[in-house]
Amino acid sequence: MKTYLKYRWTWLGAGVLGGVLFAGVAAAETCLSPFVKRLDKPEQFLYVFCVDAAAKNNDFLIVIDVNPESVKYGTIIHQLDLGSSGNETHHFGFTDDRTHIWGCSLISSRIFIIDVTAEPAKPRLVKVIEDLPAKTGLTGPHSPYALPGRMLISFLGGKNGGLPAGLAEFNNDGKFLRTLDLPQDAPYMYDVAIKPAINRMVTSSFTPLENYRKPLAQMDLKNFGKELLVWDFHERKVIAKLTTGLAPLECRWSLQGKANFGFTNCALDDSIWVWEGNDNGAYMARKLCTTGKLPADLRQSPDDRYLFVSCFGSNEIQQWDVSDRKAPKLTSTIAPGVQPNMMHLTGDGKRMYITNSLLSTLDRAPTFWVRLAHVGPDGMKMDPFFNVDLTKFPTGPARGHDMLLY
Amino acid sequence: MSPALGATEMGPAPSRLAVIQSAPDFDLTTHNGERLRRRDLKNKVCLVSFIFTTCNGTCPATTHRMVQVEDALKAAGMWKEDNVQLLSITLDPARDTPEKLRHYMQLYGADDTHWTFLTGSADRIAQTIAAWGMWTKPMPNGQIDHPSRIYLVDSKSQVREIYNLSFMDPAWVVKDIQLLLQESKKLGNK
Repeated sequence: MKTYLKYRWTWLGAGVLGGVLFAGVAAAETCLSPFVKRLDKPEQFLYVFCVDAAAKNNDFLIVIDVNPESVKYGTIIHQLDLGSSGNETHHFGFTDDRTHIWGCSLISSRIFIIDVTAEPAKPRLVKVIEDLPAKTGLTGPHSPYALPGRMLISFLGGKNGGLPAGLAEFNNDGKFLRTLDLPQDAPYMYDVAIKPAINRMVTSSFTPLENYRKPLAQMDLKNFGKELLVWDFHERKVIAKLTTGLAPLECRWSLQGKANFGFTNCALDDSIWVWEGNDNGAYMARKLCTTGKLPADLRQSPDDRYLFVSCFGSNEIQQWDVSDRKAPKLTSTIAPGVQPNMMHLTGDGKRMYITNSLLSTLDRAPTFWVRLAHVGPDGMKMDPFFNVDLTKFPTGPARGHDMLLY
Repeated sequence: MSPALGATEMGPAPSRLAVIQSAPDFDLTTHNGERLRRRDLKNKVCLVSFIFTTCNGTCPATTHRMVQVEDALKAAGMWKEDNVQLLSITLDPARDTPEKLRHYMQLYGADDTHWTFLTGSADRIAQTIAAWGMWTKPMPNGQIDHPSRIYLVDSKSQVREIYNLSFMDPAWVVKDIQLLLQESKKLGNK
């Protein structure tokens, strides 16, 4: 028995050390579900989810070679037709084992399941989940967020495109498991983020399908949410409702250990807000800083020091030092082009890929592209050579939105 | 505020732990060289992990976490009954013989009263891995890449939770097992 206990404590140490080392690698890739297997090598391919700009031809996914050693670096090497049009393909996410991508559509409510393992340079469409409103009572799947062996998806609206919005869980085969309903006084939904170390989940707010499918000038601004919900994730129970600026979008937990705070970009308030939990279990939210116009996406550096916010309305990306949450500092700004929106930061925090479409009903840019910014000690700098034109497809221009790396 | 569990395809009155999938059958060999099938564990709540004994990735931490769950079950008085079973299925049947599994169990102090390590033929293990939605990929350094999931299965052979190391507090696992045992009791199982 004593020998067994000795080995047990030895392996305990090894296990803890292994866990710490593993956690160090796992923490390197920001803005993905913490349950997603991390990319443990430099990126080779950038997957971009594309909307046919005229909404007449099929939407698709493109693969851009982002291996600097490759002769095809910076070029589109594959295009995967998703088989249908008018979807408003928007955000996508890896499964926990990083073998598949789930892509969500805001208008058609379809979900596309794409295999990226068999041949990473040529992903394959393996399944399309249809009839989601009938199955789930929800419309507008937005954020596919990996859980172990499952996907949790935020939906922007109810069955008929109105409220309440909600969340739904699926197994990795695409089978619908259940919905998670929202409180009656907080019926909006947008993004979801889980911090397993403290058993907390945060969800945010936007507007439902019946509103976002209209041009901006016709949208009802009174039909947008301004709440964050804090959940006990294990119990799937809302424990706090926080009021923020209008339209809190991305949810980004602090990446530090058990730090109990996070950030969101309030798109219709031109601001970043922070939510903070205290030792008594209570939460509060406050405005952290005023940004440029219409902050549409929010990303984090892997060391948790910086936030990057794309200001869709003022055509800039801002880098904020939030190491002191009482005194955030704007440290650099770049102007990658008209209406920068989605960003994807690499695991080492040194490269940030950028696209420039938000929604077909909101876009005003004359061209669409994928560009690259380098992030260094002096802030962000645009790469003068990396510029993938998304207007020259045989089917015409495409709006590039979300991105993932392989 | 009460749990926000909404509609499911399974009907009303949802449990906190949704039915995720049916737990696939298996027909494997224990660390004692005996045959064990999934159906032999009928009416038990099972916690199933996939590891291999020469892993230098997540498997040591997974096994250590299972040890913590074993300790927590004992502390809760739940190790005395015969209604909970821990299982660890090898991902490397070529190297993980019953003898190797016994040695590994000794290293971790795994109590084989209700914890069984399993191996089998290459075909049987490959079928089992695939059926559970797991996969393996040999690495150039001799290691095996694989997802890191631990499955909680109820007494009706349904997967009700899938953990990974980021989210597997032993106290929660015990609470989840207690919930499943209560549900099982209500359904009339022993």
